[in-house]
Amino acid sequence: METKALLEAFREACPGHSFDAHAMPVDETVIEVPAACLEDVVDALRSTFSVYHLSTITGQDRGTQLELLYHFWHGQGITLQVTLPREDPCVPTLTGAIPGADFYEREVGEMLGVTFEGHPGPQHLLLPEDWESEPPLRKQRPAEEGDT
Amino acid sequence: MTRITIPVGPQHPLLKEPLSVRLTAEGERVVEAAMRIGYVHRGIERLTEERSYVQNLHLLERVCGICSHVHTTTYCQGVEALLELDVPPRGLMLRTLLCELERIHSHLLWLGVLAENIGYTTIFMYSWRDREIVLDVMENLSGGRIAHAVNVIGGVRIDLEPEQVDAIRRRLDQLQEQVDDLRDVVEHESTLRARTKGVGGASLEQVRRHCAVGPLARAAGLDRDVRRDAPYAAYDRLSFEVVTEAGGDVWAATRVRVLEVFESLSLCHQILDNLPSGEVSTRAPRRVPEGEIVSRAEAPRGEVVYYIRSDGSDKPARIKIRTPTLPALSLVREQLRDINIADVPPVISGIDLCIACADR
Amino acid sequence: MLITLFVFPGFGFLVTCALLFEWIDRRTIARLQARVGPPWFQPLADLLKLLSKESVLPRQADRPICRALPVVALAAVLTAALYVPVGGRVIYAFEGDLIVVLFLLSLPALFYFLAGWVSGGVYSILGGSRSVLQYFSYEVPFLMALSAPAILTGSWSISEIITQQAEASWMIFVQPVGFLLAVVGLIGKLKRVPFDIPKAKSEVVGGPLTEFSGRKLALWRLGVHIQTVAGVFLLVNVFLGGGDLTLVQGSMPLGLARAVTFGVKALAMLLTLSVTSVLYARLRIDQLASLGWRVLAPLGLVQLAATILMGIS
Repeated sequence: METKALLEAFREACPGHSFDAHAMPVDETVIEVPAACLEDVVDALRSTFSVYHLSTITGQDRGTQLELLYHFWHGQGITLQVTLPREDPCVPTLTGAIPGADFYEREVGEMLGVTFEGHPGPQHLLLPEDWESEPPLRKQRPAEEGDT
Repeated sequence: MTRITIPVGPQHPLLKEPLSVRLTAEGERVVEAAMRIGYVHRGIERLTEERSYVQNLHLLERVCGICSHVHTTTYCQGVEALLELDVPPRGLMLRTLLCELERIHSHLLWLGVLAENIGYTTIFMYSWRDREIVLDVMENLSGGRIAHAVNVIGGVRIDLEPEQVDAIRRRLDQLQEQVDDLRDVVEHESTLRARTKGVGGASLEQVRRHCAVGPLARAAGLDRDVRRDAPYAAYDRLSFEVVTEAGGDVWAATRVRVLEVFESLSLCHQILDNLPSGEVSTRAPRRVPEGEIVSRAEAPRGEVVYYIRSDGSDKPARIKIRTPTLPALSLVREQLRDINIADVPPVISGIDLCIACADR
Repeated sequence: MLITLFVFPGFGFLVTCALLFEWIDRRTIARLQARVGPPWFQPLADLLKLLSKESVLPRQADRPICRALPVVALAAVLTAALYVPVGGRVIYAFEGDLIVVLFLLSLPALFYFLAGWVSGGVYSILGGSRSVLQYFSYEVPFLMALSAPAILTGSWSISEIITQQAEASWMIFVQPVGFLLAVVGLIGKLKRVPFDIPKAKSEVVGGPLTEFSGRKLALWRLGVHIQTVAGVFLLVNVFLGGGDLTLVQGSMPLGLARAVTFGVKALAMLLTLSVTSVLYARLRIDQLASLGWRVLAPLGLVQLAATILMGIS
């Protein structure tokens, strides 16, 4: 799959948005996707390019904002990068098209406090049901404490 | 008919690690299955952010007991790519050797667990006895039966003398004979077939939808293996077959795993016959330049994925681990609907659980 | 009289045999599985250990019945064993004692189910219902197989059957199908692999006995082992000629010769049971029911029909 072909298809699926791509080792293409376009883009990936395999969804706290990475794989790696605000982060669920995303979304949801709209059962996956504190992967510590 | 709830786990003779499956049964038929994991969640991903890259090597080895080496392999090759290090060929071959030995030991362990769970204690005893051969070889190589600590960032820390190579070859030949007998049993023994054939089938479509990987997916016909499709370590220099079956039932999964043991044995022999000379590792700097990487490997249970992001210091900014048992658990929820209670042990054993991997 | 009842061949002898058989069984299975196996005193040690442990029952269990069931089951098998000749010696023998023995040996299955039913808990009830289903699958062929020799010899007394085997030939040669059915039925009765379905560890944890512990469990297990002894002895008497001396000549005193012969045959029978435990995986309950009604019961009918025809001609 050519990166250009991917970007073309994405622009068609979700007009009015721009998509940027860059490469990542090893043999991985990262494409930035706005949250609103996620479902359309994934649909395009599945129908046009037969990309079915979602390896996982990584969630991380980049300090000023949250970042979700959807790692797909089809002969090469395709990662969709979705940026979300720290306040009330919301993104549509993929469980309709890819039931396997269920566990991954639940984990990102509990670890970063992200809401996946339309998820059939967003309970905690790994954390106990009575977990009251902050989502564990959010950066809470002040930056001056000597760590990165 | 009245419905009863049968708790399978967190403590249950069927499970080696805590997992909770609540089955709702009418008579001998399961109607619903509710699953809960997280009993061994140790917060490893969060812990990696507080440790240096070298310290994380020790931590990540302990994500799982059975597939410890492949975790550090995936981690090391990710960090090595970020550092743009070239691991010497001898190091890569030794790393691959241990990967394949681990695959053999994991599949034999699984065969024993499956046999025990369907009441076939004899095969459990035989396969674990054969597994001792592999564990002895790994101990000879690395000093540890389960936690090998062989990988370092930049290569491996062990090396092989020619006498060791000969000794390992002899032991692997002995193992081959014994696993041949096991394969005979798996293919022909009637009660084993009766308990596993047609039990817990998964279609290719179901496997795709749940993004399942590994022998479980290959048993349903999905032709995917990271060693062939995205070669890492020394796999681009080695040749092997990817074993697939059709039907996705427990018997197909058993066949796939037993035949994979033979492929792994062949790979081990190829490695031992073609060990290049030279160093086994290169020096790695402590600080990793900024960057991110997705590193993949084929663990005994399937594709293991590491996303590593570094920010230029000596501690990683984020490590995300996805182990193959997680999508398998997603798939098994579907396989557990509308089956006999007596079929629950083979189905749950058939996915080769590694809850420690799934929970991290 | 009392010595006969309590020592030989009564309770003392039976308990010793039960422990000895358990040891032989576990050791044989271990050796066949490439293991070492327990030492000779292990069954005794297990019994004493269990007897000394605390007995805990769930809140919803019916206490008096749970306390009574192991004792009653043990009593049933001990009484059955009293009527089974050992090497030619028997405590009571009368016309019809075969029927009494078969009846008493089938009672433990009922008590096993009851134990599951009253001790509460999901695993117990599940194991109990499976044990009833299993009971119907093996008991009918077993009874048919053991009735055929009686019909052939025209007597329902075990001692009479033994005597007639000594005159003619062992039943195993005359009715091999019956013998096979009896062995399979015995494996089902004793809930050994491949028919240990009611107590399948990976499916129902402990089956009906999941909630039993301490002294109750000790008595249950002892009852199971005595049932093994009684079953093996019964089959040796009915099919292998009991203490018949057909193969033994020599200068040993008659009583000792009979005892040795009987012992050898019993050992052979026990080893057959142990080896079959090693060879197979556990069946599913529906597979057992299918086997029982599609294969075993028809074979039993064939055997009975053949016996009746032989008797007529």
